[in-house]
Amino acid sequence: MKKGFLLLAALLLASCGKSPSARQVNVYIWTNYLPKEVIEDFQRRTGITVNVDTYDSNEAVLAKLQSGVADYDVVVPSDYMLKTLIPQGLVRSLDRARLPHFKNLDPRFLDQKYDPGNAHSVPYVWGTTGIGYDKKKLGPIDSWRALFDPKYAGRILMLDDPREAFGAALKLMGKSINEKDPAVLRQAAEMLKAQKKLVRTYNSSDFANLLAAGDVDLAQGWNGELAEVVSHAPDRLAYVVPKEGGTLWIDNLAIPKGARNLDAAYAFIDYVLEPEAAAKIVNGIHYAGANQAALPLIDQKIRQDPAIYAPKEVLDRCELIEDLGKTTQLIDQLWTEVKAQ
Amino acid sequence: MKGGWPRRLLAAHAALVYLFLYAPIAILVVFSFNASRQTAFWTGFTLDWYRRLLGNELLFRAVRNSLVVAGAATVLAVLLGTPAALALARYPFRGRRATQALLYLPVIITEVVLGAALVTFFGAVQLRLSLWTVVIAHVVFSVSYVAIVVRARLAGLDPALEEAARDLGAGPFETFRRVTLPLATPGILASALLVFTLSIDDYVITSFVAGVGATTLPLHIYSMLKVGVTPEVNAVSTLLLAGTVILIVLAHRLLGKGQP
Repeated sequence: MKKGFLLLAALLLASCGKSPSARQVNVYIWTNYLPKEVIEDFQRRTGITVNVDTYDSNEAVLAKLQSGVADYDVVVPSDYMLKTLIPQGLVRSLDRARLPHFKNLDPRFLDQKYDPGNAHSVPYVWGTTGIGYDKKKLGPIDSWRALFDPKYAGRILMLDDPREAFGAALKLMGKSINEKDPAVLRQAAEMLKAQKKLVRTYNSSDFANLLAAGDVDLAQGWNGELAEVVSHAPDRLAYVVPKEGGTLWIDNLAIPKGARNLDAAYAFIDYVLEPEAAAKIVNGIHYAGANQAALPLIDQKIRQDPAIYAPKEVLDRCELIEDLGKTTQLIDQLWTEVKAQ
Repeated sequence: MKGGWPRRLLAAHAALVYLFLYAPIAILVVFSFNASRQTAFWTGFTLDWYRRLLGNELLFRAVRNSLVVAGAATVLAVLLGTPAALALARYPFRGRRATQALLYLPVIITEVVLGAALVTFFGAVQLRLSLWTVVIAHVVFSVSYVAIVVRARLAGLDPALEEAARDLGAGPFETFRRVTLPLATPGILASALLVFTLSIDDYVITSFVAGVGATTLPLHIYSMLKVGVTPEVNAVSTLLLAGTVILIVLAHRLLGKGQP
């Protein structure tokens, strides 16, 4: 039996240990983030084969990179995950000289706190948190106040996510979603406690479907899923980032420490920074891209959809969720109080 | 009718249990033919999702990966687990009890722990993650199931049958080939079926150890959740369900033949 095991191990090692061909790039990315035609165009132009694997959470990327034996050359972590990956040395610092199309990016998404100077990452797509609602029933809505309005008792859905729920309350109070003052946070918790009897359900996975099904009329949620259901019922549903601003998230391209196809990885990243490719990506996946030069090439319908591209004045009031250190504990505790009430 | 109402109550109870078990599956199948993208309303019959499935290369690759992994893991686990079961059931050896206890470990241990342990191990031996690391991981937890199921089958056999074979002049190998193995076959097949199902289902461990090009169907479906489950997922689940049902019917037939 031992012999059998050794033989098996040897066979497996032989089959996976072969050195990679120089003409491939292994991309680990969110589902529906890379249209087929973009992959095909890149392969045609460069002769480099693109292998795509998909994941469902930032934590999956972290686990894979921490293993040290994942063979990925390009990964797409969100803002807060880079804050974890960079100090652990799990992603390479980028050689900007090899990314001539970096200049196409919108400066609004560059040089963020999670990666100063974009030494390790290139913004890819971004989005917002806002409210999806039944405009036929409720008329236009433009403020987080609606989620706290007794008029809509029993018709409200909140994300089951402490930072997002507190974010809505804090924004309504005119504070930052990254507020650390315990007194202010307690005040926000009181608002959320008072709101609780109006809330039909706290849900972060199925909120868009519940809105589409008519189980709720107002749903706090992320724009991707909400834009999707809105596009299938544009006469009935709408999405808005409240005028007070919401959360902003940015997903970024990065190269893992152990990447073996470095040339191909740089070629791939620079390719998706080209205006034509960047526009094809946005047109294909219906998420807002971080590429400025691509804007004129993007379908007008997508470009002008406020559920996808939040208007500039709203975006200016949106904030990235930051790591709050010890304050996180207080928020978790207050959130438990809200939920347990 | 004497005792009529308890009987009817029991029947109603049984019907409710079956409804509870099968209604979600029935709804999943029905909604794979739904014309609307939403899973909330029925808007009309369509085969569109099955058509789109045919054009979805990533999903197809995921199905293929799942079948390759489940097939390979089943064969390897049966080859490794059956001898282990034989040894445990038939031959006393030093450390038998410890071996037996260790065999149960992968079954009892939390999947997350096993997944994390495997990925650490692969990291330590510098084995790059790929489809083969998924196969290895699945074999790790499957061998135990095979050993346990086959051993239970062997334990239920009358040792007199093997003794009789030897009395009649059969050598150890011939006894094994012509008496023990045929008698153990239903157990081996049942364990193979169990392992195949467990492997094709597994998300947690696979998510830890999958490497380049090794996205399996459960991984793919989970990753689709970010943009919402479409009826495409219902369609592929329905196909998988149909495949499973066929497998189970086949297995039942095979097992039925094995027993008088």
